[in-house]
Amino acid sequence: MTNYKIIFTGPVGAGKTTAISSISDRPPVSTDKVATDMTRNVKKTTTVACDYGTVRLNGSDCLHLYGTPGQQRFDFMWDILTTGGIGLILLLDNTRPDPFQDMEFFLDQFQDFINQTQVAIGVTQTDLKSAPCIDDYHKHLDKQGSTIPIFEVDARKRQDVSLLIKALLFSLDPGLVENND
Amino acid sequence: MGNHAKPVRIAALGMEQRTYSTLQLFFHGHCQDSYVLVEEKSADISIIDMDGFQAYRMLEEHKKHYPDQPSILISLSDNKAHDAVYVRKPIQLEALSSALRSAKKRLQQQPVAKISVPKISVKEVAEAKASVAKNTAKNTPKLQTADNTPNAVPPVLNDVIHRPKTVVKHAKPGSNHFNQYRYAADALTEDTDIELIDTKLAARFNPLNPVQVAKFQYQSKQTLQGYFQQAYFMALQKKRNIVLKGAWRPITILYKSKQLRVEKNFRHLYALSGMFFDKSEVSIAVLDNSVDCEPSIHETVLPAEPFLWKLSMRTSRGRVPVDTNFTAPIKLIRWPNFTRTIVTPHALRIAALWAKRPTSLVDTANYLAIPLQYVFIFYNAAVSLNFVTPEMAKKDRTTTSSPPVKRHQYRKIFQDLLDRLRNN
Ligand SMILES: Nc1nc2c(ncn2[C@@H]2O[C@H](COP(=O)(O)OP(=O)(O)OP(=O)(O)O)[C@@H](O)[C@H]2O)c(=O)[nH]1
Ligand SMILES: [Mg+2]
Repeated sequence: MTNYKIIFTGPVGAGKTTAISSISDRPPVSTDKVATDMTRNVKKTTTVACDYGTVRLNGSDCLHLYGTPGQQRFDFMWDILTTGGIGLILLLDNTRPDPFQDMEFFLDQFQDFINQTQVAIGVTQTDLKSAPCIDDYHKHLDKQGSTIPIFEVDARKRQDVSLLIKALLFSLDPGLVENND
Repeated sequence: MGNHAKPVRIAALGMEQRTYSTLQLFFHGHCQDSYVLVEEKSADISIIDMDGFQAYRMLEEHKKHYPDQPSILISLSDNKAHDAVYVRKPIQLEALSSALRSAKKRLQQQPVAKISVPKISVKEVAEAKASVAKNTAKNTPKLQTADNTPNAVPPVLNDVIHRPKTVVKHAKPGSNHFNQYRYAADALTEDTDIELIDTKLAARFNPLNPVQVAKFQYQSKQTLQGYFQQAYFMALQKKRNIVLKGAWRPITILYKSKQLRVEKNFRHLYALSGMFFDKSEVSIAVLDNSVDCEPSIHETVLPAEPFLWKLSMRTSRGRVPVDTNFTAPIKLIRWPNFTRTIVTPHALRIAALWAKRPTSLVDTANYLAIPLQYVFIFYNAAVSLNFVTPEMAKKDRTTTSSPPVKRHQYRKIFQDLLDRLRNN
């Protein structure tokens, strides 16, 4: 039995826990705690260790979904998290003061991992705040030279999260066959 | 036009305008004009959309007046209540062709005397159509549609009339078909459009054969897509709002928010995708920044990119703009925002491939083992938004020597996961 991991990362409140719950077979194990100090005025609960969900595949294989805590003081865990990972989903919250800075921060943190795998970016809460638009995110990335899938995503919608993961999978291997698409 | 026999005359009844346009295209392209759309009273065979408002009443009326006319019923559901031939939506090319063949057979079995109307030529049909084409949207009576959208614009004839300034009235007020026209759910006709593409047509496509190349190219600049594209990028570049006028209600492009102000019933704009307009019929005007751009009560505001994406997808019909290089590697510059825009067949795979390694249109179809026209549809939409760019072809190649991207060591796992994501 082999285990594979997709890692979900992003700032506090971007929707990592929610995204994992919308595609996990079982309700994810979360370590949400009532937020204290720095996150309290952002949201009621926050993930303090990590989220964990699973998707059972054929045979005994299993895909593990790991969500990193959004609070930056947990960054010592990130290396442990990424071992065995097949790709990264970065969720960004469009209502945050500087989502581009968030993007740069997380891409930088996971740079080595991304170089070995792929990343797909979902921008959440665009229903609450429509600017900046997806195009603006692309413009910020143009400097980097790589073409990363960036979609508007509502973490509560399975379809959105699923499309983001599909884009990640095809980026890893465009030769995959989507039956019925 | 390879068919010189008299065309079989078909009446399309109760049809949403895009289904109507699609049929027309199918008859003209795939069937090489061996069928032609005419009015009910001069038809040999009728095709009736059973999902329309009052479809059953219309069918009864039709049977009463034209008891001998073979009919083909199309519907989303499997309805076998009538002894007519049923074709399920989304319409499969083969199913429709075979239904037409069997209707034609039935027609030939009928005694000649029963066909009461005199045979007419294609030319007469075209003239008849042109004569109904006199009504502009302005003097067309308001149609009450099934979804209660007032003032729906009637179906538009394309292909037959090359440069129509007008829209065609499809139902007369007071007739039984008065209420038949409605806007159907978007997805239905989009599927239908793509289903109607004969993917075998490009199976042996040779990019070096000019005759074949011409078949899969179109003058994009002369379509609504082309004019809109021109106006949109002009607005972004000039940082000014722009209004685009033509055989449609004005479209205002709001550069700052990348939005459009269009009439509420904007969906009929997609049905204009099969038409060509001369430059003289279209105007692009830069608006003064002081002009108030608030939508009126008859208008709505849409995001511009998904609109252009969809319009280009509809316009493509499996073709690409003239001057497209079929062998130059195509590079993806920007992923479309796929959660909020239509995912054309195999779009994710094509995008991923072009992001990873620029690949020509022909090689892409080969490598991904998909119909070339699906690559064309995606390319057409993506290039209209500058999401892709052709790179200089190093040499003219028509075949792939090796797969452009190697198989991932975890392909089986990814494939499993993909299937799981699809299944629930
Ligand atoms: N309106 C709106 N709400 C969203 C969207 N995506 C997620 N949410 C909500 O945003 C809230 C925060 O989501 P979480 O999943 O807890 O965020 P998180 O990334 O796990 O946050 P931390 O664990 O604190 O780092 C939840 O209430 C979600 O339901 C969206 O696109 N729109
Ligand atoms: Mg969380």
